[in-house]
Amino acid sequence: MVYRVYVEKKKELALEAESLLSEAREQLGVKNLTDVRILNRYDAENITPELFEYAKKTVFSEPQLDILYDEMEASGAKAFAVEYLPGQFDQRADSAAQCIQIISQGERPLIRTARVYLLNGGLSDEQVEKIKKYVINPVEAREASFALPETLKADYQIPTEVRTLDGFTDLDRAGLEAFVRQYGLAMDADDIAFCQAYFRGEHRDPTITEIRMIDTYWSDHCRHTTFLTVIDAASFDDPEIQSTYEQYLALRASLGRKKPICLMDLATIAVKELKRQGRLDKLDESEEINACTVKIRIKTDGVEEPWLLLFKNETHNHPTEIEPFGGAATCIGGAIRDPLSGRSYVYGAMRVTGAADPLVPIDQTLRGKLPQRKIVTTAAAGYSSYGNQIGLATGIVDEIYHPGYAAKRMEIGAVIAATPAENVRREVPAPGDVVILLGGSTGRDGCGGATGSSKSHTVASLETCGAEVQKGNAPEERKLQRLFRNGKACRMIKRCNDFGAGGVSVAIGELADGLVIDLNAVPKKYEGLDGTELAISESQERMAVVVAPEDTAAFLALAAEENLQACPVARVVAEPRLVMNWNGKRIVDISREFLNSNGAEKHMTATSKRPHASKKRRAATLPSNIARWPAI
Amino acid sequence: MLMPFGGKYQLTPIQAMVQKISVEKKHTDACSLMAFGYNPFITEKSPYHGAYLAVVESLCRLIATGADFRDVYLTFQEYFERLGKDPSRWGVPLSALLGAFRAQLDYGVGAIGGKDSMSGSFENLDVPPTLVSFAVTTTTTDRIVSPEFKRAGDRVVLLRPETDEHGLPVPASLKNVFAQVTELLHSGKAVACYTPGMGGIAEAVMKMAFGNGFGFAFEKELDTQTVFGYCYGGFLLELTDPALTVGTPVGVVTREQAITHGSESLPLSELLSIYEDKLEGVYACNIGPSGVKTENFRYAASHYPAPAIKTARPRVLIPAFPGTNCEYDSAKAMADAGADPQIMVVNNLSAADIARSVERFAEALRDAQMIFIPGGFSGGDEPDGSGKFITAFFRSAAVRDGVGELLDRRDGLICGICNGFQALIKLGLVPYGKIVDADENSPTLTFNTIARHQSRIVRTRIASNKSPWLSLTQVGDVYNVPISHGEGRFLASEELVRRLAANGQIATQYVDLDGDASMDIHFNPNGAVFAVEGITSPDGRVLGKMGHSERKGSGLYQNVPGRYDIRMFEAAVKYFKG
Repeated sequence: MVYRVYVEKKKELALEAESLLSEAREQLGVKNLTDVRILNRYDAENITPELFEYAKKTVFSEPQLDILYDEMEASGAKAFAVEYLPGQFDQRADSAAQCIQIISQGERPLIRTARVYLLNGGLSDEQVEKIKKYVINPVEAREASFALPETLKADYQIPTEVRTLDGFTDLDRAGLEAFVRQYGLAMDADDIAFCQAYFRGEHRDPTITEIRMIDTYWSDHCRHTTFLTVIDAASFDDPEIQSTYEQYLALRASLGRKKPICLMDLATIAVKELKRQGRLDKLDESEEINACTVKIRIKTDGVEEPWLLLFKNETHNHPTEIEPFGGAATCIGGAIRDPLSGRSYVYGAMRVTGAADPLVPIDQTLRGKLPQRKIVTTAAAGYSSYGNQIGLATGIVDEIYHPGYAAKRMEIGAVIAATPAENVRREVPAPGDVVILLGGSTGRDGCGGATGSSKSHTVASLETCGAEVQKGNAPEERKLQRLFRNGKACRMIKRCNDFGAGGVSVAIGELADGLVIDLNAVPKKYEGLDGTELAISESQERMAVVVAPEDTAAFLALAAEENLQACPVARVVAEPRLVMNWNGKRIVDISREFLNSNGAEKHMTATSKRPHASKKRRAATLPSNIARWPAI
Repeated sequence: MLMPFGGKYQLTPIQAMVQKISVEKKHTDACSLMAFGYNPFITEKSPYHGAYLAVVESLCRLIATGADFRDVYLTFQEYFERLGKDPSRWGVPLSALLGAFRAQLDYGVGAIGGKDSMSGSFENLDVPPTLVSFAVTTTTTDRIVSPEFKRAGDRVVLLRPETDEHGLPVPASLKNVFAQVTELLHSGKAVACYTPGMGGIAEAVMKMAFGNGFGFAFEKELDTQTVFGYCYGGFLLELTDPALTVGTPVGVVTREQAITHGSESLPLSELLSIYEDKLEGVYACNIGPSGVKTENFRYAASHYPAPAIKTARPRVLIPAFPGTNCEYDSAKAMADAGADPQIMVVNNLSAADIARSVERFAEALRDAQMIFIPGGFSGGDEPDGSGKFITAFFRSAAVRDGVGELLDRRDGLICGICNGFQALIKLGLVPYGKIVDADENSPTLTFNTIARHQSRIVRTRIASNKSPWLSLTQVGDVYNVPISHGEGRFLASEELVRRLAANGQIATQYVDLDGDASMDIHFNPNGAVFAVEGITSPDGRVLGKMGHSERKGSGLYQNVPGRYDIRMFEAAVKYFKG
């Protein structure tokens, strides 16, 4: 049986309703709107009527602040209800269920939430639509029904196997291109041909899981495809830039660089040179790439100790553009995960963002875009929510306004962390080692983030990117922080990776050359996930660690002490292949060499015009009263 | 160590973020700095020069904050238009990276990390070529300098490097400037420093002036090009010694609250409203007072109760719920004061885990003299209100009985800060001294009137020192304390507030610069009625407050002057020691 209750803040405390009223009147021009009411609707199942009654007054509401209703009275107002898309993490429902379970000390009930909006003032349907459009971001939410559901249990089809793509190895060039389009892949025609050649060599057709996984592995987000594209020729109009380019070429020669010229080479060669000069001697380098790591010595209680300082910057431009709250929240969450996986404690954060003018009236918003005003304020709320929940001090927040960011928002989170050096051991995983998955369960909400942010962004994005945004779960990541502050736990970890882009396939897949992963061991939020989804779903709040078999039990116990779910899901093997088993079948079996190739080599030439000459379309935006450049 | 905005008005933005290196139990004076540099209006004209100057700016910001030019590391964020197959588009990031490459070699600093995103296009619109340089280093707390002007009458000078024919700083010259700036800051000859960014010297002076409400008189000779133009690699320094000759004179810090240049004068207040009101319609900050009535309460304790059994090292139980995040600071503050803290993680993975947690907590409580409920966001402050997870836990029979026993039979103490205070008030432990069911007239804490999270330093005045937690304070004392919360607005009827005040249960109030209780959002961040920040149980042994008094340590909050340590943890230990 499903029970339902509505909760409304008392009139004088209904800040959110009040602000929607003024926004709708002033920003959306719905001048005849006289009153807005917002009600939280809770549906609960697997709960006794007595417990539900008790929870109404202690969990769903507070008598000092809220009014409870068993039935909704619209009394002439226009009403609509909004709920998260299925699969989106709903912290409100999740916390309500946890609170009720604390009270009952029994099984956790099922809770679903929605928000009901009541609009007064004799609005036309068109005006209601306008407000709906403002309130509902189709990427994360949808209009909900008013009917009481019979059950909250989702009726999942339980998949039993993943598809093998019969005939893939026989496709011709045109067939391959159609294939890329059909599956919405981020890889290009060369990559898919390269893939086909590999599977021909393996004498079999790939599974859909393999194709999705390779697509994720080779996405720009995970592998910097653009940065690794070979630059065959470059020319510069400006002699100053040309001479720096020649300086770079000379340096390549003197360092004996054999790898081709690419943006990545240019981005990293200065460090190579500085090291050769004997500088940067405090750099901590390892095969693990979690975050920038520097060896420092600090005095604690007057005694000097070796420590590691870690820092990292991260962007979530694409997710924040389409779903600002979750995008900005997971930006900071994601930035934290990297130094965290380096076993350090993150204690400081900085937020640098880029936006177009948020003062532009909402009706001048580009088609297919959210209004800048909505993006900047909702992103700020999302960042604040996550940062504050995890308890991270943000030292600087700076938003840079430039009309170009109407193309896409910039949302950068940078974090800083430290840990005693003795807590970090870094070792190459050995055959027999165990991979433990830590943290939250896997859901469908994390599928496709890496490839999504690497795809072109068009007008259709807002409608179709639904599966590509995630909500953050800060309390869960906070548990990981506590575990990784425990020196005893850290010292068992040989290697660690976070579940950023790419989920199990990348997070676990990168830990060692040879791995056998048991996807059935991956904890799920709900039934109905197939092997592919288990393999590629990302998450903010999960981590994979490699420990020696003899440390496994002790590590699992330490995780349990921190209220963290943890379970072994893979083991390290000698043969350099990435293997995933699911439902008794081997659904992924790929050689490390092929996976690490990063796909087909890309080539490009580059030309650069003299400064001032290019980018004329933006010149008009410069302040004209001051000759700002070059005015040093 | 530096609040984002400094000065007594908290209006001067810092240029580098500075935090002490987080050590769980021990103490350190080591701190880290992080700063960024980037200006899209330069990168769009020349990605090469823009990237070079981004590196320069990030370095300058560290130096301006007191760091030495030694062991500095960089990490870049690159964000560009989609490149496709167009060679001229590929020239954009290539030029930017060449500029950054040259800057790294010129200054001997390396970008040891970086992230790139090449998806900044929508239809035919592109983001400006973006290369943000983040610079990081470490130093010790005594070397940090904040940018707000400190004293009227001080002279301000500009140090700047030579530039080459393309307008970039000459590396050797800039490195000299770094050394000079560092010497001036560390010797105390310069007490404030700022490196001009997008808005040049004009922006720098304005922001340095806002923090402590000083004015500034520009040298007449300075032309507007110099004042408003770019000045990357330059440093403005506030000098204390009138005889010191260094740099180019820019002007003098004045008591008169106006920025003047020759005969022209702009009142600081006018400038501030132009600066703040620009985005006020998007990010509201200065909302009006939410009810005007308040007054200073006063209740001085004549004596303090003593526990029946003395304890030299009282034990304090600190529960950590899902979403708690202040337990480390709380435990450290308790341990430093001489107590024996025990953090207990409440486990709720399964029904059995919950039952076990309740049992463990009740058992540990029997051996403890205090409960300290730390700050955080239990359950993410959901469903739609704070502290619900904690109150659900405390309402379980075993815990409820244990709390009753601690308070009624063993003379124990309880404190809750922020989320802990929210839990205490919703349980009834404050102001009633026992766990009760709330009704619609019970006092509570709810959403700040500004309807979002607030984080800053506030001034709180001791209204009553009845609580043993506040026995080391005097009524009327004012303490600065950091706050960080979304739901800190204390709500109660006037009748109840007066009753509590008469019984000495209004512990602390938010006050203005004159020390008077205030409903102004600049001082009372959440709109609490009667500016109440903290309240106690009838006998004072249970204290709840919003401000994070546990966030203490040497060298913190350097850019917001005031007295910080309320010594409540020492007071609690003293209570048990007798």
